[in-house]
Amino acid sequence: MEINEELIQAITRAVMKEIDKNGQSGGGSLTGKTRMMPKTSYKGYPQAVKGSDPKEVVIGVGPAFQKEIKATITGIPLDDVLQNIRAGIEEEGMVSRVVKVLKTSDVCFMGLEAAKISGSGIGIGLQSKGTAVIHQKDLYPLSNLELFPQAPLITLDMYRKIGQNAARYVKGEKVTPIESVNDPMVRAKFQVKAALMHIKETEQVDPEIPMIEWGKA
Amino acid sequence: MKKSKRIETLDKRPVNKDGFINEWPEMGFVAMKSPYDPKPSVRVEDGVIVELDGKARADFDFMDQFIADYAIRIDRAEASMAVSSLDIARKIVNINVSRKEILEIVSGITPAKMAEIINYLNVVEMMMGMQKMRARRVPGNQAHITNLKDDPVQIAADAAEGALRGFSEEETTTGIARYAPFNAIALLIGSQAGRKGVLTQCAVEEATELELGIRGLTTYAETLSVYGTEKVFIDGDDTPYSKAFLNAAYASRGLKVRFTSGSGSEVLMGSSEQKSMLYLECRCLYVTKGAGSQGIQNGSVSCIGVAASVPSGIREVMGENLVAALLGLECASSNDQSFSNSDMRRTARTMLQFMPGTDFIFSGYAAEPNYDNMFAGSNFDAEDFDDYNVLQRDMQVDGGLRPVTEEQVIRVRWEAAKAVQAVFKYLGLTEVTDEQVEAVVYAHGSKDTLKRDVASDLMSADDLMKRGITGIDVVKALAESGFEELAESILEMLKQRVIGDYMHTAAILDEHFQVMSGVNTPNDYMGPGTGYRVDGRRWEEIKAIPHIIDPDDF
Repeated sequence: MEINEELIQAITRAVMKEIDKNGQSGGGSLTGKTRMMPKTSYKGYPQAVKGSDPKEVVIGVGPAFQKEIKATITGIPLDDVLQNIRAGIEEEGMVSRVVKVLKTSDVCFMGLEAAKISGSGIGIGLQSKGTAVIHQKDLYPLSNLELFPQAPLITLDMYRKIGQNAARYVKGEKVTPIESVNDPMVRAKFQVKAALMHIKETEQVDPEIPMIEWGKA
Repeated sequence: MKKSKRIETLDKRPVNKDGFINEWPEMGFVAMKSPYDPKPSVRVEDGVIVELDGKARADFDFMDQFIADYAIRIDRAEASMAVSSLDIARKIVNINVSRKEILEIVSGITPAKMAEIINYLNVVEMMMGMQKMRARRVPGNQAHITNLKDDPVQIAADAAEGALRGFSEEETTTGIARYAPFNAIALLIGSQAGRKGVLTQCAVEEATELELGIRGLTTYAETLSVYGTEKVFIDGDDTPYSKAFLNAAYASRGLKVRFTSGSGSEVLMGSSEQKSMLYLECRCLYVTKGAGSQGIQNGSVSCIGVAASVPSGIREVMGENLVAALLGLECASSNDQSFSNSDMRRTARTMLQFMPGTDFIFSGYAAEPNYDNMFAGSNFDAEDFDDYNVLQRDMQVDGGLRPVTEEQVIRVRWEAAKAVQAVFKYLGLTEVTDEQVEAVVYAHGSKDTLKRDVASDLMSADDLMKRGITGIDVVKALAESGFEELAESILEMLKQRVIGDYMHTAAILDEHFQVMSGVNTPNDYMGPGTGYRVDGRRWEEIKAIPHIIDPDDF
């Protein structure tokens, strides 16, 4: 078989097409790769509705939660994260409900969306990488009751406390916020990973289906 | 494979704990130039830009439109675009071409052209450019004043010490958002106890920040964030137009404002549109200029971990600082976020702004130990003060700081802490005990101070906002509690808003409340023998570091 320029080009095209289809290139180079994961469709899932239970705290999780992303930035399984937040809420005698926010991947907006459909007006925003916020329906989007911006520092025990504090806001108690934690080296260690996880989450944003019930936990 | 001890040692070096990634333009992980960046172009019809960087007006997104309508001098556009990018790059480095001439040319170029120009410059040429294009003649510096406990007494004491050490601006933020009014008041008082005329701000959610400013509890604002793609703007519930309105709201009350941007944010938000970080940052800076802001805080800022992860990323950071200066904006050049485990790497990154000097080399420098820095850690912190002073002395460079004595530090921390205690008492806020004052004055950070009743503090801070407490109430509280001089200083700071001169580009105040800006003290550097030189009293001050050998001791 004669190897000419034309044949090489034809092979290159076929290979490139295959790469495009998979959305990834086999080797070390990332150039050409346009997605991290295929998009999940949530068509037909029940839309989240406004709750009427005044004891309710709604947890709004991110678009990739428990699907494309199964553990936080430090590897804590998201099943355990959710279980601890729910346990915290229930320990304070309140009721939890989980929804998946698909219209945004921003933690503050997720928290606010959850708060708006929560029977109590208190919601928790929870990104798949682990960043969390306690929000209230009548606050500015980028304001909050409590924000936990450094996901790598949040432990399961803290997630439980986040649930507890959210429930205490529902009860109208004088709440002592969870003590701030800070690691000045967190950016050096985790920011690239955070960017990649957030890209993964943002790829799953679907403005057509704003929010669905997410019973799975 | 048998292991090499050399490689094992190298693997353990701090720099290898940093995050690095290969270029990936499709996801925006590319510093200076993406294959998807547009080619520069402009077309003007009937005084309107109808084509910008290869895009027809009908296809403009809201950023293109804003930039075309407000950020480019249309009367200059075609002439400026006709000058080659290489020629403009050479003029930037050429000491015989004045800052004024360059500002004139650059006023008519497009964002893609700007990115192309910067791509011609290596880091030394960028530093040459900054030395000439910086707006204010004398460089400056800004501090972060925060702590893990949101302890207002520590904020006041650290602010006083920071002001004493030479910072012209001080910025605080909160661990818990509702502490904002306490932090703002403590910073306002503490700064003036350290050195008269220091400007202060409280970086929190925009509406709260505006309200604190309008009430006179802060004296400038910085956290008006802009982004390089339409999608990220929309995700932030914003447009260039809403930012322009917010800018005008501050201006209407006579407050100094600068915007904030920085490469990597679009990558981090997952919407980079496959463009390079530099090109997107150029768009941010054009929006900033178009919105009428006098200045910008940029240089990747909180996304520095992303910019620093890709090849030529730190060069890009300096490049975007230079773009700000080229557009005639005040540049507060970041260096404000930790990004590397390596002391060598973090110092090298800062030298790019430190050596040429920028309007604010840091924005800001952690004037507390980094564990207390609630911006998640700055590139330099309180433990680096003496290193920084020695760097100034070694190179005869003005980095905006000065050596101090222990006696001075304790004195100003004491006055600031006592003043906050008195103001809190006068205004009926939560109690500040004598024990707390004592602990804070002699502390290094919040690990050395007492615990506060957070729930009571937050209720008291909410109440303060409900009661409509303003800067004038703080002045009155100080005056009637025996702190007359401090009261007068804060009144002077409030008067600045009526005078309005400090809204000029790159304005800071000296200890007599006199404005020094890019307008009344412009940068006039044109090579050796010109521009700002470190000499006279300032050089004596820089030389006087502690721990100098006394020949008489031997």
